[in-house]
Amino acid sequence: MEEIKNKVEQLLLKTQKPARYIGGEHGSVIKDKTKVDVRFAFCFPDVYDVGMSHLGMKILYGLKNAVPNYWCERVFMPEKDFEALMRENNIPLYALESLDPIKDFDFIGFTLQYELSFTNVLEMLDLAGLPVYARDRKDLTPIVVGGGPCVCNPEPIADFFDLFILGEGEEVNLELMRLYEKMKPNNPTKTEFLREAAKIEGIYVPSFYDVAYNEDGTIAAITPNVPEAKPKIKKRVISDFDHAYYPDTFVVPFTSIVHDRVVVEVLRGCIRGCRFCQAGFIYRPFREKNIDTIAGEAKTLCEQTGYEEISLSSLSTSDHTKITELLTTLSDYTDGENINLSLPSLRIDTMSKEIVDRIAAVRKSGLTFAPEAGTQRLRDVINKNITEDEIMRTCRLAFSEGYQTVKLYFMLGLPDETDDDVAGIAELAEKVVDLYYQTPREQRGKSVQVSVSCATFVPKPFTPFEFEPQATPEQIKHKQGHLLDCIKSKKVKISYHQQNVSVLEGVLARGDRRLSEAIYCAWKKGCTLDSWDEHFRFDLWQEAFAECKTDTAFYANRRRSYDEIEPWSHLDYLVSHEFFVRENKKAHEAKTTRNCAEGCSGCGIKKECGGVYCG
Amino acid sequence: MLQPKNQNLRLTKYEYRLVFAKEGRARYISHLDLLRTFQRVFKRAGIPLWYTQGFNPHAYLMFPLALSLGIDSSVELLDIALTEQLPFDVLRDRVNDKMPEGLYIVSAGEPVMKHTEIAAAEYIIRLGCNCPPEEASEKLKCFLSQEKIEVEKRSKKKGVNLVDIKPHITLLSSACEDGKLVIGLRLPSGQEFNLNTNVVTDAFDAYAGGIIDTVYTRRTKILTKSGESFI
Repeated sequence: MEEIKNKVEQLLLKTQKPARYIGGEHGSVIKDKTKVDVRFAFCFPDVYDVGMSHLGMKILYGLKNAVPNYWCERVFMPEKDFEALMRENNIPLYALESLDPIKDFDFIGFTLQYELSFTNVLEMLDLAGLPVYARDRKDLTPIVVGGGPCVCNPEPIADFFDLFILGEGEEVNLELMRLYEKMKPNNPTKTEFLREAAKIEGIYVPSFYDVAYNEDGTIAAITPNVPEAKPKIKKRVISDFDHAYYPDTFVVPFTSIVHDRVVVEVLRGCIRGCRFCQAGFIYRPFREKNIDTIAGEAKTLCEQTGYEEISLSSLSTSDHTKITELLTTLSDYTDGENINLSLPSLRIDTMSKEIVDRIAAVRKSGLTFAPEAGTQRLRDVINKNITEDEIMRTCRLAFSEGYQTVKLYFMLGLPDETDDDVAGIAELAEKVVDLYYQTPREQRGKSVQVSVSCATFVPKPFTPFEFEPQATPEQIKHKQGHLLDCIKSKKVKISYHQQNVSVLEGVLARGDRRLSEAIYCAWKKGCTLDSWDEHFRFDLWQEAFAECKTDTAFYANRRRSYDEIEPWSHLDYLVSHEFFVRENKKAHEAKTTRNCAEGCSGCGIKKECGGVYCG
Repeated sequence: MLQPKNQNLRLTKYEYRLVFAKEGRARYISHLDLLRTFQRVFKRAGIPLWYTQGFNPHAYLMFPLALSLGIDSSVELLDIALTEQLPFDVLRDRVNDKMPEGLYIVSAGEPVMKHTEIAAAEYIIRLGCNCPPEEASEKLKCFLSQEKIEVEKRSKKKGVNLVDIKPHITLLSSACEDGKLVIGLRLPSGQEFNLNTNVVTDAFDAYAGGIIDTVYTRRTKILTKSGESFI
């Protein structure tokens, strides 16, 4: 530790925001190494500012450190300037609490939140001084594990990991660490340990499966090669969500981070079933916390951290069955303590006047809506059950309360999208502008700005659109041009996501094991921090794909048949394949599916998982 | 109609001046981040901070003198206002109980002097050099005996111009310890004229031809014009 500390200290003043690399924050856990049996390096494969904002890390950090003889520490990806300094001065990647090199830890765990962080995993393993391919790491430790939403198709990075954890981590992480603690005194080999680990539900050891391919490049079979490997690996679900572990304090950073506030998770899963949304399916079933639990956690966290802002986290906060009562209870506390309450993820159709007032009381900033598609027909295709009337009703309410900016989020390249649907985006945005001018002058704000943000749709595994071809860059370019032609009003501002990023995301999201070579190659060429515009090098990715003879269109732009074996077919996220097929067919007929609160649509999730509306 | 958020007007406020230490890992907390860090410490400790009375109420915290990033100190100052009176030692202990590693309150008291009275500060600087410390010490003597020590100073209005810092440097001590050159310096500080230690060490390093490998700096005193400790 001292050696790294001394070296690091001489470099900190040469780097941007040095507080990111030295630890010591309030709430960080320091333990006596001699009394610790299992050490876990929790790596977020992106920079500190992003990683420190991530709720999952806060939960698992607290959970593991609550066990007296386990020590979990934080590790982030250094920015390019500090990474160069680390390499120049032979500083291996270290954990922020002990400042010890992570290659000496028992576990190195990565949370995989988005595909564009994959190269960062390789970079961090390399910075740690470890071989990036799992097969080249012969010793038992460190055991490199991965979790998070991208693990629902981990195949493109399967060769770099020893094992993956599917689904929610609160129980299975401790089960895995207990197994290791029990086996460690007998000095097992890595394979011996992994075979025992494979018996735990939710644990997937990729090296225990062989993948065979057809001549056309599709998968012929995925076959277990050891008896412990199950034919299908089920994701883990916390059925008693209200009593699930939740931390009573956070690590409070010195430097500002993206989400710098208390976060309380109010519900998990989503009732909506929007067909493009991976989170809406892989986090099923819908479970919620009691109001008293939420209020208690909010108060404890504010007292322990000193934060003056609380944010409620969920996929759709207003779907909480007692949302109004929840907001009343929370604001009774926050108003008296000079604490701000922010409510992201509200749905248009549920925005009551009360909720609009509640937001307005905090700060009259702006409203953000995600209609996702420009016409009712296309919204029915994607099962985004919002009507134009509902959008208008909420905007009318907002304008009469003095709101001046409205942000509208859309996607381009959705299945069955026509030029009329694209023109619909422009029409909708201009109707919102008109609505402002129809609002009485004495009620409305000084001026109006409608910002339209268009992302490119990327089909993801475990959604009804997993079979769909992604729109090609040429098609998207045409749609963007058409949209610009349709906009007349100066009050409407259009912005796009960078197109090449979506292309890469599309390939990685539905890729198979053969992609690992291209990822390795791109990383070797210098691709890291791909999710940052200033660092994203699509030219290098294209070179890598060309050198590895990867046909990106095969992964991204091809329609997949319903009976094709997908790279993720041996993983079970509890929502049935039949349901996705049914939903895909309904999408092409522009028929909607009711949400869980209106009635069960038979997605395949069982009652035992604890869903509010299941069974 | 929007109302000011802070409805419970508290007009009485009690002012305190805290002397605190910033060491170890905490020395990398930037000035801006330090403000936020203290706000959260006070919140955690349940200290009844006085809030400004406007549409955007915020706690009153004031650092009379900034400390450069990477420098240790046990004489830093923070002025705060509370809505209730607290005994000095109670205030100090309650805050220290909630501090992150490397930050702690040395003492709490009433503010006696005005911020404008701050005129100088003293530092102990440990220089690790790629030559024997005795040799570095000789070079320092030569460096300081120059007629002028000119450094580039950037400002928004005038651009880059040369300033002679020689008259502002007071060498208090110089010794060789554990293979390092340890020097004591007094430099002007405060609102009128401020000279940072790194300007001096950088100028010395440039003069001596790049001999400095490591620099550890600690601020030891904050002084008024007449040379007494600022309280």
